[in-house]
Amino acid sequence: MSTLTLNGVRKSFGSLDVLQSIDLKLEDGEFLVLLGPSGCGKSTLLNIIAGLETPTSGDILIGDKRVNDVHPKNRNIAMVFQSYALYPTMPVERNIGFGLEMRGVETDTRKRAVDGAARMLQVDHLLDRKPGQLSGGQRQRVAMGRAIVREPELFLFDEPLSNLDAKLRAEMRTEIKRLHNRLGTTVVYVTHDQIEAMTLGTRIAVMKGGVIQQLADPMTTYEKPANMFVAGFIGSPSMNFVHGSLARDGEHIVLRTEGKDPTTIRLPRVASNLDALAGRKVVLGVRPESFAANASAPDLTGTVDVVEPTGPDTLVVLTLGGQSLTARLGPKLAIAPGETLGLTIHPDSISLFDPDSGNRIA
Amino acid sequence: MITTSRRARLAWNIATYAVLITLTVFCIFPLVWTFLTSLKHEADIVTQTIQYIPTRITFDNYVAIWTQSGFPTLVMNSFVVTATTVLLCLITGTLAAYSFSRFHYRGRSALMLGYLVIRMFPAVLMIIPLFILMRGVGLLDSRLGLALAYTSFLLPLFVWMLKGFFDAAPKELESAARIDGCTRLGAMVRIVLPLARNGLVATSVFVAIAAWNEFLFALMLTTSQGSRTWPVGLQLMVGEFQLPWGVLAAGGIISIIPVMILFAIVQRTMVHGITAGAVKG
Repeated sequence: MSTLTLNGVRKSFGSLDVLQSIDLKLEDGEFLVLLGPSGCGKSTLLNIIAGLETPTSGDILIGDKRVNDVHPKNRNIAMVFQSYALYPTMPVERNIGFGLEMRGVETDTRKRAVDGAARMLQVDHLLDRKPGQLSGGQRQRVAMGRAIVREPELFLFDEPLSNLDAKLRAEMRTEIKRLHNRLGTTVVYVTHDQIEAMTLGTRIAVMKGGVIQQLADPMTTYEKPANMFVAGFIGSPSMNFVHGSLARDGEHIVLRTEGKDPTTIRLPRVASNLDALAGRKVVLGVRPESFAANASAPDLTGTVDVVEPTGPDTLVVLTLGGQSLTARLGPKLAIAPGETLGLTIHPDSISLFDPDSGNRIA
Repeated sequence: MITTSRRARLAWNIATYAVLITLTVFCIFPLVWTFLTSLKHEADIVTQTIQYIPTRITFDNYVAIWTQSGFPTLVMNSFVVTATTVLLCLITGTLAAYSFSRFHYRGRSALMLGYLVIRMFPAVLMIIPLFILMRGVGLLDSRLGLALAYTSFLLPLFVWMLKGFFDAAPKELESAARIDGCTRLGAMVRIVLPLARNGLVATSVFVAIAAWNEFLFALMLTTSQGSRTWPVGLQLMVGEFQLPWGVLAAGGIISIIPVMILFAIVQRTMVHGITAGAVKG
């Protein structure tokens, strides 16, 4: 177990800046998820931590030791790859034990360690098979076995679940979380799946264009996104954005929407004082589940466009003021397209962004 | 309607087989003819009417070429030259192909193209400079010199073929191996080479057969019995006043045996290797 520190890590390929000054400090036993769309630099960052790529500038410290010039094999890390990267010519047992074999661990000790890891991951009955004879889920387990058997200071996961089907992915996600709880090793986990990020991470670093947009615990990232990119990337259906300007209306603050058919949305009383923002152009961000149907005293009223029952709840897309909103409402909702629907917004669950920079204002 | 299409198919099949059988006979006939000649008495070879099947069988030709000429030495020389060529290609070519496949450095494309360009020159053009070069370094008329000359034009083929096999091996495997404790070279030897084994075998066999059968370079670069290879040796047995057909045929048959054995052993691997490289895994 160990800490991980990145100081001003940059990476450029020619004139292309893939990573722009990444600073990060990971405490012992933390589970950091690097989340972002393809090409945001998250895998490059992971490879730099692993030592498979060298940073253009900046320092990487594992524990107190600067490891920039340390070979991957001497960094005491283990990595699980997206393609599993199991050695096709070796049986499972040797695949798991290869790292120990390379480090000159005696056969008996090695065998005990491999057996232990295999039992923990329930692949002990597959030790004689070649990777080609395993299913996707089994390969995934073997790849994890190969990582845990060495008891490294740092685990690196590079989109380990993206090749699995949905059911197996959910299972393995739980498995990884259980493993982290049991071993307590520091983890850096790369994914583009926001569910994985939310469920696994103790902290999430949302990346875009080689820059960390927000580094925070999952609930903060979800409830108080630092900017519109983070707000839109996390959550499904994603956060609703309504462009408009704030104004005072009696004792309430309202948002007057832009567009050819302007309307007003009454904002709930929130902890932060919105009075100072009156008159300012903003983008209002509301999560779909922060709406509740309320016909008597609605904060906003729109026309129902589409109704999508999902079972546990109903997704309602409604239009108001030429803009479209999605609300997650209760199940068995008796509502049809074309009807008018009044909604209230849950207090403390709105975000306001600057329309130019996209950054959070309140 | 059905009978028409069936008839058409039958005709088509017959035509296909006819073409294939003709081609096969065309390819096999010289071999069979040589083999039959090697079993004939000298008197039965040059006759007024062509005698395809020998009436009397003799192994005298085989005994003669093996005991009364320098043929065993020629075969031995060919073995040494072929083995050296394959070894040189394996050591240098594997590293070169790996570097072309995995690293990006200045001049990489130019180097790879240069390797191809060498193959575009006719062999005759290369012989004179090679001859002068070999004489300069004192490797003329030596088995090592000949092996080096073969390597010069077989290595590009080896490198280009092997690069395809290396390209097909996932890079993540090496990353995993490096994290598991291998150096770059260690990852290549332990992980990539076993994966590219079929490719290695296939390309090595190509090189071995080319070196074993080569004639022109061997003729020019060797002058004595000590380094001469079998194709040159056989050719030199053709004298001004005599043409020992039976003995020559026996020599030819003996010489292709190693190639046939090699093919028989690696045929499956080789076909697998070639196609695997072609479709990238």
